[in-house]
Amino acid sequence: MKLKKSFLIALSLLTLALTSWELYWRSQGKLPNLNDDKALWSLHRANVEIASRDDVVILGSSRAYFDIQIDEWAQVTGKKPIQLASTGSSPLPSFHDLVNNTSFNGTVIIGVTPGLFFSTTYPGADPWSRIQTKVDHYYNRTYADRSNFWLSIPLQSNFVLMSADEEFWSDDIDLKSLLRKVKIGNRTGSPQMPPFYSFGDITLDRNMSMSKRTVQDTAFANTIIKVWNFFGKGAPPPDKKSTMSFFLEDVKKFKERNGNLILLRCPSSGGNRIGENMVFPRAEFWDDLVKQSNVPSYHFEDYDQLKDLTCPEESHLSKEDAEYFTREFAKIIIEDGIITNSKTK
Amino acid sequence: MLFNSLSFVVFLVIVLALYYSKLFNWTNKKRMLLLASYLFYAMWNPPLILLLWISTVIDWSAGKKLAVEENQKKRKLWLLLSMSINLGFLAFFKYGDFLLENFVTIANSVGMEFETKPMGILLPMGISFYTFQTMSYTIDMYNKKIERARTFLDFALYVTFFPQLVAGPIVRAKELITQFYEPKIATTNQFFWGLFLLTLGLFQKVVMADSLLADTSDTVFDSGQLIHGIDAWVGTLAFSGQIFFDFAGYSTCAIGIALMLGIILPDNFKYPYASLGFSDLWKRWHITLSSWLRDYLYIPLGGNRHGITRMYVALMVTMLLGGLWHGAAWTFVVWGGLHGTYLILERLQRKYLPFKITKWNGIFLAFITFSCVNITWTFFRAPDFSKAWNMITSMFYMQTEGIKILETFEIIKVCVVVGILFLCHWFMRNTSVKEVSQKISPIFLGLIWSIMVFLLCVAQGSGEQFIYFQF
Repeated sequence: MKLKKSFLIALSLLTLALTSWELYWRSQGKLPNLNDDKALWSLHRANVEIASRDDVVILGSSRAYFDIQIDEWAQVTGKKPIQLASTGSSPLPSFHDLVNNTSFNGTVIIGVTPGLFFSTTYPGADPWSRIQTKVDHYYNRTYADRSNFWLSIPLQSNFVLMSADEEFWSDDIDLKSLLRKVKIGNRTGSPQMPPFYSFGDITLDRNMSMSKRTVQDTAFANTIIKVWNFFGKGAPPPDKKSTMSFFLEDVKKFKERNGNLILLRCPSSGGNRIGENMVFPRAEFWDDLVKQSNVPSYHFEDYDQLKDLTCPEESHLSKEDAEYFTREFAKIIIEDGIITNSKTK
Repeated sequence: MLFNSLSFVVFLVIVLALYYSKLFNWTNKKRMLLLASYLFYAMWNPPLILLLWISTVIDWSAGKKLAVEENQKKRKLWLLLSMSINLGFLAFFKYGDFLLENFVTIANSVGMEFETKPMGILLPMGISFYTFQTMSYTIDMYNKKIERARTFLDFALYVTFFPQLVAGPIVRAKELITQFYEPKIATTNQFFWGLFLLTLGLFQKVVMADSLLADTSDTVFDSGQLIHGIDAWVGTLAFSGQIFFDFAGYSTCAIGIALMLGIILPDNFKYPYASLGFSDLWKRWHITLSSWLRDYLYIPLGGNRHGITRMYVALMVTMLLGGLWHGAAWTFVVWGGLHGTYLILERLQRKYLPFKITKWNGIFLAFITFSCVNITWTFFRAPDFSKAWNMITSMFYMQTEGIKILETFEIIKVCVVVGILFLCHWFMRNTSVKEVSQKISPIFLGLIWSIMVFLLCVAQGSGEQFIYFQF
């Protein structure tokens, strides 16, 4: 057997194939991006263990994730927050973890996206299990998991072909995702979800910002809006009673140890906002939550500088607007004395 | 550490660099391999190395005593010590909750009010593999079939050798320890063949099992509803392919990695889905486990030396325990029981309805065997009996009223992959990858090799654990 020869042939063909694959996807507009996965979340969750009273932790779903820009926050407040928001997730499991499994008593900002916050406490439901998987990974990750993550960072940052996200975006290019795109009829008769493309860029410190394409390409933004509509139509009715009761119990515990909790309602616009206002009327959901939690709470509609912001895909702010929102929101809560600027302290 | 991870790639490169450097003599190379093996295990859960150490020290001491002790009673006691420690670990870590749960059920059924919570014991990765491996050493020593390991280092490396530590092949002492006595260096051809096997194993795991089959199997077996007959069959076929590619993939990686170090491990799979009957299947599927069960359970239970009835009992007990070895649940016992039943029926057929296997009826027989194997897999994969029964009901009554949960493309994908798998096994059943590779041109082999690595890179994989790690 001439295995050395076979090996050299394989190596040459592989180099050629991978280079072509990489160049092809780059020519299609794809750029290297980090995976917003449980390993990255766990890396930041670990920081809560060593966080002080001055630290700020952000929990919530994608709005708190996209709309609070870490560097802007650091500029205004003097300290980078720990970003633990998670797309498509209820903040209840991560807050529960933080309250019950850590001694953290600094500031927690919870982004309230009504459709997710009041969705469910059922562990198998998507909004719950998505974040719970991340919490579980944090506790169960092995040293091998940690080293795999660190070794994958340079590859993810430099090669498009390494971008396989846990999110299963329609434009992912790993083998599973490519096969998932093949559709023949609709045997199950289930409603077909419109294609859901990645619309954010993420950095190692978990700063998520809206991609330029989403802001500039209306047709692309519309594909995302179609997905929100799909989710909206298929969502089960809210479960306010159990979600509130679950949350309030943790709020009580957190307040008892002098934790500083802030509720934040980030902007939405267009049809999405109309739909939210119909299903989750403010008085019945947000106002009641604020009243029962009895913690500082901020609704974007209540502030002149925030109320007119428009979301390109109706649910999240563009990078520039998110930076503005972050600055203004940080200033408001400093002025209210809810947090202090650690630079001027 | 998983073979299908970046950490392992770095780990292997460092180990190979140190192994082939001129820094160490053979003893120090073995020390390096031992330390690397502990590191390999510790990357998962460091404290559980203690179990490996205890197992190693106990069995080394027992082996040492068995080598010199002539008093039969004392020899038996040393053997019992080794077996009780190893089986004790297994009983506690793997079967603790299972035993407790069954105790509570029995207590409640006889009217004793007894309630308890599961202990939630962490299952040490690969415990079933290394305890069986190390027990084989003391049992062989007791039976005076082998000589004791020359040094503690050789023995510790035999127990812990990282390529096959967590999921086999389960290697006998005489096959592996003796290889550690003399310096080993892979020839160029061995090294590249090892690398090829590592690639093939990873391809089987990451591309075939995880990317092409796992999702379908999970969708079907995790569904809580009564599903359509076609979906049930396709889900079962998907699992059938998944478990083969997953486990055979691990074994192929292990054999390849060891070969890169100049160490030869035995084959663990020989195209099992083209088996002609169940005796043939167990000579082709997880060969090192079935030979372990044959030598240390079936034969000591009497084997075929005490008449037909006793042989059938021995066969059934062996298969039931073999089932339980795979997992602490009654579904695994039923899986073993079905295999035991098939083996008994096959022997009865051979006795009362013998027929000649030709090339014409062979593939038909292989297909029948494969179909029967698929039925057993439902019990193996289903989380509980109700799901297994739902699956069987759907498969045999062809529940047209059942819910359709698989899309057409998924059905086509699984049927094509598993169909090709079956045909490959059929055409390869009397040959090997090596023989085929020798017959094809180096250019064609290079092309296949590059396609496999390319698909591995495209599949990326999320570092899914090998199924057999949990056993």
